[in-house]
Amino acid sequence: MLVFNQLETYLYLALLLFAIGLYGVLARRSLIAILISVELILNAASINFMAFNRFLAPHPAVGQVIALFIMAVAAAEAAIALSIIVAVYRKLKSINIEHATELRG
Amino acid sequence: MNFPGFLSPQGIATIAFFVVVAVTLVGALIAVAARNIFHNVLGLAMSLIGVAGLFLYLNSPFVALMEILIYVGAICIAICFAIMLSEPLYLPRPPRKFTKILGAMAGSGLVFIFLLLLTKKTKWVPAAERSTDWSVTTIGHYLLTNYSLIFEVVSLLLLVAMLGAIVIARGGRGSS
Amino acid sequence: MGACDPNFLSCLLIVALPLLSFAVIMIFTWRRHKLSLAISLTCSTIPLILAWSLFFRLKDAVTMAKPIVTQVNWLVSDAVIVPFGFLLDPVSLLMLAIVATISWLIQIYSIGYMEGDPGFARFFADLSLFGMSMLSLVSASGMLQLFISWELVGLASYLLIGFWYEKFSASEAGKKAFVVTRFGDIGFFMGLVFLTFFLKDLNIFGLGIFDINNAALTHKLTEAQVTLCALLIFCGVSGKSAQFPIHVWLPDAMEGPTPVSALLHSATMVAAGIYLITRLFPLFAASVTAMSVVLVISTITLLLSSTIGMVAKDIKQVWAYSTVSQLGFMAMGLSAAALGGSTLFAGYYHLTTHAAFKALLFLCAGVFIHHFGTNDFFVMSKDGGRKLAIPMITVTIGALALSGIFPFSGFFSKEAILAQLWHLPNKMWVGLALFGAFLTAYYTFRVIFVLLFPRKDDDPVWQEYYVREPGGHGHGAHDDDAPGGHDEHHGVPWVMSFPLIVLAGFTLVLGFLQTPLEKFLLGESHPHDMNYMLLFSAVGCALGGIGVAWLDWGSPKAKWQGFIKKFPALENFFIQKWYMDHFWRWFLNTFIYGTFSRIFTYNDRRVVDGGVDAVAFSTIGSGRLLSFIQTAFVQLNMLFMVLVLAGVGLYLLMGR
Repeated sequence: MLVFNQLETYLYLALLLFAIGLYGVLARRSLIAILISVELILNAASINFMAFNRFLAPHPAVGQVIALFIMAVAAAEAAIALSIIVAVYRKLKSINIEHATELRG
Repeated sequence: MNFPGFLSPQGIATIAFFVVVAVTLVGALIAVAARNIFHNVLGLAMSLIGVAGLFLYLNSPFVALMEILIYVGAICIAICFAIMLSEPLYLPRPPRKFTKILGAMAGSGLVFIFLLLLTKKTKWVPAAERSTDWSVTTIGHYLLTNYSLIFEVVSLLLLVAMLGAIVIARGGRGSS
Repeated sequence: MGACDPNFLSCLLIVALPLLSFAVIMIFTWRRHKLSLAISLTCSTIPLILAWSLFFRLKDAVTMAKPIVTQVNWLVSDAVIVPFGFLLDPVSLLMLAIVATISWLIQIYSIGYMEGDPGFARFFADLSLFGMSMLSLVSASGMLQLFISWELVGLASYLLIGFWYEKFSASEAGKKAFVVTRFGDIGFFMGLVFLTFFLKDLNIFGLGIFDINNAALTHKLTEAQVTLCALLIFCGVSGKSAQFPIHVWLPDAMEGPTPVSALLHSATMVAAGIYLITRLFPLFAASVTAMSVVLVISTITLLLSSTIGMVAKDIKQVWAYSTVSQLGFMAMGLSAAALGGSTLFAGYYHLTTHAAFKALLFLCAGVFIHHFGTNDFFVMSKDGGRKLAIPMITVTIGALALSGIFPFSGFFSKEAILAQLWHLPNKMWVGLALFGAFLTAYYTFRVIFVLLFPRKDDDPVWQEYYVREPGGHGHGAHDDDAPGGHDEHHGVPWVMSFPLIVLAGFTLVLGFLQTPLEKFLLGESHPHDMNYMLLFSAVGCALGGIGVAWLDWGSPKAKWQGFIKKFPALENFFIQKWYMDHFWRWFLNTFIYGTFSRIFTYNDRRVVDGGVDAVAFSTIGSGRLLSFIQTAFVQLNMLFMVLVLAGVGLYLLMGR
């Protein structure tokens, strides 16, 4: 059995990508870096869909369609997030998430 | 896992696969770990190209193409614009906080372990009857028949996101 | 026993129609006086007819030992079953008929009396509510239903006494009546609770009147238990029936419109207490101690109110005190009967006759008050009270009955009670009762003689007595022009004189119905061993009272001074109403306001308010404390979220 013909390979890969993205979300201070990490997480999910589509699903087209939708949603999300980042920068003169502490109790 | 001979077609394919995996993971690590925000974006682009390669291995050249087109071609460029519109790169960056990194590692590590165990313990069963139709035509057919509603909703979402992005980036209502 | 039983249906109609009328008037038609009147009258006429038809239909079919009980289960919840139904035996049948008649007559009368009052519709609604609760009280089959009706009567009387609520004294009087009777009702309720407790196998909701009496008759309860319960229930009785020492609400209740006073004081509210004693007569009779207490208290009540009645100048006050004294008299009769092993007939018979003639007296007083705009009968006398022929004749009939003169109904019923008292070994009681009868005759005829034989207009006596209080009795302008308004042949609208004539007829007739009534109530009639000595002494006392009244007030040479004037200290004591109001005021100030209120206020301030404050402060404090967690570091929040998520996931995976 070839390594690229196994479902688990892709799942572990997606898992690694997800963990790396999660680490980025939790550790980075720049809003843009966080956005980048979120994109990684989304891609991990996308890989999972594609892998299940390749190895398990009855209709191979469905997973691809969903991956396309994820892409579209990610694009929308990126557009919004980026405009929010610009707005935050305008307001706080910084995109460091640790400076956005107006809700501190 | 058994490794076939290096020069057999399977061997070459396997080597290429490992290259793709390496590109993906290294890109992801650069995207997360590099201190320069621009390097992050480049790492992201690299990782996404790797993911596109994975998609090729998953029998979906169309999605791989779209991945490169949308992610690398659009989102990464948009992020570059955001970088240029926000904080200047020459500003001194505050040092990293060790506790925070440790916490993030613990969090993501725990989730990793959880999902790893979940993946391991689950018995993945393929569908009893699987179609072999991978063509782009079928994807197009599905998009415009079974999933037409979602398709339309996504287009609406994109429109709204576009408008919202414009409104938010302009500084909100009333501050022209 | 089903719901389709004709007896049950007619009882249900009797009770439900007035309630319906109350609801409809209060909710929909209270702006439209004529319509409200029509509704109210319809809803009291049908119960009247039904009550009398029930009476005549069942009068041979039921006895005290074998009543007709029709009930449905109103509320069923596992072991608790609350029956709602009607107990029809001679006592309740007669009482139903009396109550329905009196309330109907009073509604007719009120058409004239309340004419032009802004609260006309509300008045009739309240009358309906009162009628409903009273009818349901006298026909209740279970103690819970009786208690509910009992409290509803209290509520309705509160509404009616405080009817002219814009007058401070009226609203105060309503409040007083409500609170004071509630005072007794606590005892009543505790009595019921103890009864339930002692009878174990009955729950309080299913406590039927019949069961209680059976239990008492079959000695299921010990003497001490019966005494305790009977005395506690008597607390409620003395609250409603205005027995010493919580009679103080009743004279104040005169603040209400006069038809209300008539309604409250004749057959209904105050009679409810006496009715309860007759209802639970076997229970009461089973305890000598309780009955002795009742006898003592009722005797005190009789004397107290008679003496106060001697000095009152307000005609309604006089009748009110006479009511109190007659109620005491009834209670005396019942307790003497219980002690002497006799039947409840005497007291109940007096209740019946008293219902008629006291309603008559009050309605007559109402006519005078309506006509002259004052409550003071001296003022009425000077302004020509005796020119109102029909009320004057009927009030005299009522007074003769009240004094116990042959051939009026009071004579027979008083005689019956005195005979019961005569059988007691201690002759003191009958002596006191005779003295009470003497006083009753005296103060009654004081009013009659003053009204009948006024002095000439320039007599110096008027300087003392002719004091027109400003405002009269709350009618305002309506009263001031009343004499000019309808001054035709007798100056009294027929709707007001008609009930007087009917009631006067009852007063005349009821006396001769003693034997049939006794037969109806007891199943057999005891031959009367005429005790001529008692007879003559009773009539002598009554005539003596009238004679003294004649000497003091009636004859042309009379000084218009009560014989009591010769004992100024005593007179003052009576005028101050035996200082009962002072006593209660003192009691209220010392114990209620001084002790309980202070403790409760302290409790309220410190415990309740303090508790609320503590909750508030602890909320604020814990909020402050928790707000330290809110660092506004999104990533920290997210880290915890992720950790918890992973933890939960791992925990769930562990089992597999």
